[in-house]
Amino acid sequence: MHSGPGRALTAVYGIFALSATARAGYQLIREFDFAPIAYSLSAVAAVIYILATICLVIGNRISHRIAVAACAIEFLGVIVVGILSHTHPEDFAKPSVWSNFGSGYGFVPLVLPLIGLWWLWRVGRRAHRD
Amino acid sequence: MPTKLGRVFTVFTIVLYAVTGILTVWSIVETIRNRPAGKALLAGAAFLLLLLIVQLILSIATFGSAHDVDPLLYFGYVITAILVIALAGFWAFAELSRWGPGVLAAAGLTVIVMIERLDQIWQ
Repeated sequence: MHSGPGRALTAVYGIFALSATARAGYQLIREFDFAPIAYSLSAVAAVIYILATICLVIGNRISHRIAVAACAIEFLGVIVVGILSHTHPEDFAKPSVWSNFGSGYGFVPLVLPLIGLWWLWRVGRRAHRD
Repeated sequence: MPTKLGRVFTVFTIVLYAVTGILTVWSIVETIRNRPAGKALLAGAAFLLLLLIVQLILSIATFGSAHDVDPLLYFGYVITAILVIALAGFWAFAELSRWGPGVLAAAGLTVIVMIERLDQIWQ
């Protein structure tokens, strides 16, 4: 967990958590009434990114499990909201982090949880072997 | 906005893009070359941080001349960009592997998007 690439992944998660939180915070304060569903989701997403970042930093067995769950929820979220934003565009009039499979964020929300899960799986396997 | 001030802003935005772009490409090259962040790269990150703080001061000083700009939105972006570069720069300083520049590259890409958003908001 705490070798170079793992720490780098943690840092990238941190950067994304920070920017997602800043944007969600603004949307909740100023524009919540325009698209309550999309903006609530943005806030939930931001909290999950923060949770995943913290668990990646801690890196013990329990936090490893929470991190796996957080990454899995992020991936499910981006897929489900991505589909919903095409089938029910009226509920997603304003963009959330997960709308259109995260295209507004350079598809980072789609790719990051997969890299996270892959890394956690690798670390878990190594820990199991030792 | 008076045209002279507008021109200063345009030039400053171009400088910000250029410095962030160079820093990002440089960081990617160092990551591929498997090198930790050297003094020059860290100085580059510090320079970008300085420019972003100048941007913050400039925009506070001239905020009255921009109409219909939500201060919470605008300064939210400026301060987040400053935080991202400061944290990534510190990270690159502490991390003694290729992943120091790697994190700096990710931060650079994020900040390029933020500069674009700042420019759109200010217009």
